[in-house]
Amino acid sequence: MGRLLAHRLLATIPVLLLVTAGVFALLHLTPGDPIDAMMAESVDATAKEALRRELGLDRPIPVQYAAWMGRLLRGDLGHSIRNGEPVIENVSRRIRPSLELALLAMAISLTVAFPVAIASAIHHNTGVDRLGTTFALFGICMPNFLLALLLIFLFGVTLRWLPISGYVDPLEEGWNGVRSLVLPAVTLGLALAAVVTRTLRSSLLDALAEDYVRTARAKGLAESHVIRRHVLKNALIPVVTVLGLQLGTLIGGAVITEYVFALPGVGRLVVDAVFARDYPLVQGVILLIAVGFIVSNLLVDVLYGWIDPRIRLR
Amino acid sequence: MSVSRREFLKTCAVISSVPMVGLAPGVAAAQAPKKGGTLRVGFYIEAATMDPHLSGSKVDRQVYHNIYEPLVTLDAKLGIKPGLAESWTQPDARTLVFKLRRGVKFHDGSDFTAEAAKFNFDRMKTEPKSVRKGEVASIDSVDVVDSHTIKINLKRPDAALLATLTDRAGMMVSPKVVQERGAELQRNAKGAGTGPFEFVEWVKDAHLVIKRNDGYWNRQGGPYLDRVRYRPILDDTVKLQSLQSGEIDVMDYVQPRDVAAVKADKNVVVLDVPSLAAFAYQLNHQKPPFNNKALRQAVAYGLDLEQIVKGVWLNVGVPANGPIPPTSWAYDKSIPYIKRDLAKAKAKLAEGGKPGGFEFTMTTANIPINVQEAEVIQAQLREAGITTKIRLVDAATQLSDGNSRNFEMISYQWSGRPDPDGNIYQFFKTTPGTSLNWSGISNPKLDELLDKTREVSNQAERKKLYSELIRILQDELPMVYTVHPIEPKAFSPRVQGYEPIPDGMMRFKDVWLR
Repeated sequence: MGRLLAHRLLATIPVLLLVTAGVFALLHLTPGDPIDAMMAESVDATAKEALRRELGLDRPIPVQYAAWMGRLLRGDLGHSIRNGEPVIENVSRRIRPSLELALLAMAISLTVAFPVAIASAIHHNTGVDRLGTTFALFGICMPNFLLALLLIFLFGVTLRWLPISGYVDPLEEGWNGVRSLVLPAVTLGLALAAVVTRTLRSSLLDALAEDYVRTARAKGLAESHVIRRHVLKNALIPVVTVLGLQLGTLIGGAVITEYVFALPGVGRLVVDAVFARDYPLVQGVILLIAVGFIVSNLLVDVLYGWIDPRIRLR
Repeated sequence: MSVSRREFLKTCAVISSVPMVGLAPGVAAAQAPKKGGTLRVGFYIEAATMDPHLSGSKVDRQVYHNIYEPLVTLDAKLGIKPGLAESWTQPDARTLVFKLRRGVKFHDGSDFTAEAAKFNFDRMKTEPKSVRKGEVASIDSVDVVDSHTIKINLKRPDAALLATLTDRAGMMVSPKVVQERGAELQRNAKGAGTGPFEFVEWVKDAHLVIKRNDGYWNRQGGPYLDRVRYRPILDDTVKLQSLQSGEIDVMDYVQPRDVAAVKADKNVVVLDVPSLAAFAYQLNHQKPPFNNKALRQAVAYGLDLEQIVKGVWLNVGVPANGPIPPTSWAYDKSIPYIKRDLAKAKAKLAEGGKPGGFEFTMTTANIPINVQEAEVIQAQLREAGITTKIRLVDAATQLSDGNSRNFEMISYQWSGRPDPDGNIYQFFKTTPGTSLNWSGISNPKLDELLDKTREVSNQAERKKLYSELIRILQDELPMVYTVHPIEPKAFSPRVQGYEPIPDGMMRFKDVWLR
């Protein structure tokens, strides 16, 4: 296990280099300029030039990249051009809502997906199965923003059960915080539940057709025991893969949901930074998101080994 | 709901002559204002900084106008009235003397004096990150005459300066706060202002709270509200739903597409606030096809502004005859906007050497209403034989394309300034380097008139000069103007006493909750 981890960690270095260089190049190739964006209504060219020089934006791009890399190696992600605060501070303010939202969405999706997928697989090709697959299809087809607006309309405007938008930290205000996250988490969770349902259902069907299932049943094991111990455990690998990939997406990519519900998450931070051409902020956040992806994939690898000891041996 | 142009102008007149006491129809002014309550305000975007000298974002000003005060302020007709300055005189064209109000204290307890005012102007001029430098460029130096009098010495006559001082450039920040915690001022304006409300806290991305200043110098009327809580809600639909369900009490702007529906809702009160804005397209004078005046005119005659205002803006605005909005004292209603005339457009095409029409690219922001306007323009020009390609870009690209003149026709939505100078001068004056003159027009007659508008201080004379300018602009067409938008704001019926000023800023001093 230790060697696997060490190997994996080493492999991340070229990935991170590639990501940062790619983002840097793309950002600077995109038309637009952070100083113009920040001082849109000012025509004071000398003030803009001075600010550009102060921020080092007048230097050649490779030099800027090298300088950024140099600071990064010393653990400094730099300062946002727009608000002057350290990048790390900008991100740390946003990471908590994003994590809370992602975990809640994931919990919702698993609570929904497991029963639906298992019911679908056991009652393969019956009305129950068709209901389950229809739900999954609906969840995949439904655009996020539309579902969000429908939920807001029903639970916020008509029934007035839940707040429409805004974020309250559950760790500080408990129940109020959870209430503020319910609608966005359901929006994200249902879409994810659909994906998980489909993946789990098909891998359950594969597992159900295996010889060891027949053997287990022949041994006289109870059907629930067969499903839990033999079928489910063997069908989990693809689901863990999907979840691992989705966790990263949920943290950095829930832009639309964050936007609609006015949640201060990481996704919106990146998009706003791109629109402002806030180079250091975009660079820093993308790097952290990349690290997040790598860590969640690493977790998935570890989980593989736990679920299927054969993988551990390899 | 439909507002004709005449009705709109009438509304402007009504709004500007009667201070709003109660907003909700049927609620008589009989009810006396009462103290207390928290006003919850929904905004389209998060504020950027609490330091008015470093602010480049419009939304910041919404907060500033409640915690800071400028030397002079605007009334509903865009007239200048006393603010932190009790009175002012202009001994000659290059001198402006302000008598400052006595007994005014900053929220940190320090006194507002002539020294403090001088400190602010010096900071705006010398602070490296100051965004105010351009606005105070005409100021050479500020002298302290006595403890409550300052004398501003100008490098050149600047008739627009007084109006400029009604906003951020005239806002006074406590020198003590700047000296003691200058860098922190960007996020924390505790003690920094003199206004009817004091800064309390700003939790970024969540909310910004201000509270009543019980020691406010002006004992007339408010402040009544205990607190005002600002929240950014980015999605327009969600913001509207928040208002309808009572989660917020005020929203800063209603999209034209929502106006009709909101006006039908009894739980919401909509106020059409005419703006200072002028929305337009700049035409690049420095390369084909629009270095050809006849072709610029062909485009102008091909456009049907009435249809654009009706179809795209849903009448939440009026057709524009030029850069000066109907809210301004300098607006000349005797100059009509350019009417559509396809025969003239065709004649101009022939005159410009393109009798069979021509093709050009129009750059505009990728925002729904801009895209719709671009598509309508495309269809209208097609009937005149002109082919338009639409290029959609984000705001930062639009700015850099404009500054580097990398466009043929590009949209320009100017939020406007209280003095007409701010809507005209920097767009059309010959300037080397970057400016808002993206079209690249350089016309000696225009330059001369523009300089004159700054030198003459008599309002009637200035108005005549501006009318002359508008006529030249309608002929030369560095920019094709489309619409002066209205900026509707929406309130819960509980909100009383709001007085709209066309600069769109929401001043909550006299606002109270029923």
